[in-house]
Amino acid sequence: MDASERDLLAAVAISNSGLFVRLCRRLKVVASCSRIAAALTLFLVHPGLVVLPLTLSAQIQATPALKTLSVEELMNIEVTSVSKRPERLFETASAIQVITREDIRRSGAASIPEALRLASNLEVAQVDAHAWAISARGFNNTTSNKLLVLMDGRTLYTPLYAGVFWDVQDTLLEDVDRIEVISGPSATVWGANAVNGVINIITKKAKDTQGGLLSGGGGTELRGFGGARYGGGVGPDVRYRIYGKYFDRDSSVLATGQDARDSWHSGQIGFRGEWNASQADVVTLQGDLYDGAVHQLTADPIGLGGGNLMSRWEHAFSDSSDLKLQFYYDRTNRRIPASIAEGLDTYDVDLQHRFPLGQRHDMVWGVAYRLIEDDIVNPPTLAFLPPHVSRQWFSAFAQDEVAVVKDRLHVTFGTKIEHNDYTGFEFQPTARLVWKMSTQQSLWGAVSRAVRTPSRIDRELFAPRSPPFILLGSPDFHAEDVLAYELGYRGQLQQRLSLSIATFYNHYDNVRSTERTNPLLPFPVFLANRVKGESHGAELAAEYRPLESWRLRAAYSPLKLHFARKPGSTDPNPGASESHDPNHQFSLRSLLDLAAHLEFDNALRYVSRIDNQSLPAYAELDSRLGWRPSTALEISILGQNLLHRRHAEFGTLPGRREIERSASLRFVWSF
Amino acid sequence: MVILTFAQADAIRIRKSLSALLLLTFTLLFPLLQQSVAGQSSAISEFRVKATFLFQFTQFVDWPTEAFSTAQTPLVIGIFGEDPFGTFLEETVRDERANGHALAVERYRRLEEVKNCHVLFVSGSEASRTGDIVTALKGRSILIVGDSNGFADRGGMIQFVTQENRIRLRINLAAARAANLTISSKLLRPATVINPGPR
Repeated sequence: MDASERDLLAAVAISNSGLFVRLCRRLKVVASCSRIAAALTLFLVHPGLVVLPLTLSAQIQATPALKTLSVEELMNIEVTSVSKRPERLFETASAIQVITREDIRRSGAASIPEALRLASNLEVAQVDAHAWAISARGFNNTTSNKLLVLMDGRTLYTPLYAGVFWDVQDTLLEDVDRIEVISGPSATVWGANAVNGVINIITKKAKDTQGGLLSGGGGTELRGFGGARYGGGVGPDVRYRIYGKYFDRDSSVLATGQDARDSWHSGQIGFRGEWNASQADVVTLQGDLYDGAVHQLTADPIGLGGGNLMSRWEHAFSDSSDLKLQFYYDRTNRRIPASIAEGLDTYDVDLQHRFPLGQRHDMVWGVAYRLIEDDIVNPPTLAFLPPHVSRQWFSAFAQDEVAVVKDRLHVTFGTKIEHNDYTGFEFQPTARLVWKMSTQQSLWGAVSRAVRTPSRIDRELFAPRSPPFILLGSPDFHAEDVLAYELGYRGQLQQRLSLSIATFYNHYDNVRSTERTNPLLPFPVFLANRVKGESHGAELAAEYRPLESWRLRAAYSPLKLHFARKPGSTDPNPGASESHDPNHQFSLRSLLDLAAHLEFDNALRYVSRIDNQSLPAYAELDSRLGWRPSTALEISILGQNLLHRRHAEFGTLPGRREIERSASLRFVWSF
Repeated sequence: MVILTFAQADAIRIRKSLSALLLLTFTLLFPLLQQSVAGQSSAISEFRVKATFLFQFTQFVDWPTEAFSTAQTPLVIGIFGEDPFGTFLEETVRDERANGHALAVERYRRLEEVKNCHVLFVSGSEASRTGDIVTALKGRSILIVGDSNGFADRGGMIQFVTQENRIRLRINLAAARAANLTISSKLLRPATVINPGPR
């Protein structure tokens, strides 16, 4: 299996090209014309809906609007005391961590995966110059499939392996408002794939990014980058921003020290516009286009390209009731010379409604539909068959948060019902409880079920392209599922010390296994669900502020996974190709404000050995010295991975890539 | 060839279901909108407005320079006791400044924790301790705000009073002056001022 596995990974370590040209060419293909028309109709028609609610509730105003009122006007606002207040982080019954814009700025992160290193409830490993392996609570892989990742409500999902191509997920990081990282199942509200966690990347509203911004710099690994954004308005109710960015990254090295020749570059442009149609209605339209190329050691560069367009209408009935309707279209191309070429179209509609029921219930429900059209050109070595597929997902969810004792004990029940073309109906319920012991302490617990539905790799991957096969597609592959038990605590122990602990025990069933067609022969093999497993672990995080100008953050995450064969399995190493996880992760971060507008920040991380890759444990340090004479200008020097000349974070020898020590100089200027 | 036929059939089916979904969304939406609007008050949450007032106070009150150890020291709005604001306060003060100082929100359980604080909101849960709190913070430049009955009369500086679903301000001017705080006339004019004290 090792050979086909590597091939498969190579296929999936896929990456793009002449974006505009290709996108336009694709768009002209006659077959997709009617769907494009449908998409356009949705775009045009659904913002039109706002005409209806324009007059309905003129009184509702967002916070910023309230702030502009005079004291007298504020006194004339009619208020209600029954509505539910928005929850603070520490009151939520899940293991959530939030990476703020300020955290990202002080980390020096220049890409989303780098920023994700700030969440101690994730495993983040850089595989080579462009690929990353990211997961929560185990099952890490370059094709991790148990994490749901969204950017402004758009699912960053490839139906190829039910995961994320991290090298094409980008935006101007200065415009990211926050990244919410939830470890543990959150399938009820978020949907399939939220088996072990959810990453929700939220960019700022256009009204919060008014004015210009220029950023740029360069160094030894991130050789050069530049970004620009301009935000403006049309009349009092429309705000927009446009941005562009480009970067060029140096290659990683092989274990022998030779250049791995995987340097790459990518450019992206995008926009976001908001129309405050009334005080209760906001219509958002946003989109991005990107294009890049990744060099390869033995073949022509990988071409990456794509774009997306999203429209969203949000209506607020009151502070505790609102409605959201969104639609998006996403196109992504990845052409890997000597391997596959993929073109994927995704169409998605989501409706979500929140409202209070009586004094004690806070209800949320929603429906969603997604359609994908995936088109693959197969090389001789492996094939997704059939090459072209259309797949659709329908889902509906409902959740009720009950205030058993108001502001003390809240219980949440909910379930999601999803229908997919592979396995039919899937049922994902959850029950959560949070006990707010005081303003500063809360205890929470949850029991949830979540599923990972099949992807193309599970059912439709063959190797080679034509018989005799050594890897056979598996039409019987069904969903993997997890039953998760969680218990957590959050507390502010003192004014300057806060602590959070999340513990979990997960029971997995029907995990992917590699089975032999004939038990006596190593080939051919096929994929099945004949492994079960369990994991347990904890996520501990503490923040201490010894001085007003000095913040310290420490985190420790132990993890243990165990897999076992189910009856009838011939898998020689159950779970071995699914999970490549360190048993211990530790991090310590120090953020220090010095005199003369200087900032000195350090981040130390330790990741223990990955046994099944024979990958040694490593410790690395990032240091940043920033000078911020005013809020408009920032100049910084960043050193990354300073402790070793080079180190490896993921993969097996001999193909394993290593990441080199690096330094860079950067600036950000807002005007 | 069989595969191709399937793919085509799929595409047709999908196109149909997409338009069906469109229709469904629309039909779902209209009754839902009407129902929700009819059934719900459109008033704004009391604590969203109170959070906005707390922010306004930072704009209309002058603190003595000694209240800030450096020019970079943030202006801190503290909540004492059970927190009724949720995220309203953080949302309101985000990216805002008061006389050059960034704004920060802190939450306290015990009086000893109130150190670098400029506006202190005393939650309803601590109403019975108002007298003790005022005494303990005497002489420090902290604007003490609350919404319990008789808060201003018991030494609190600004009290929110809800009348006919609207929030009014009751200001104990002498108490504020004793703490070296200057309240702008923009805030005083629409408020009920008690205890004006000697000019």
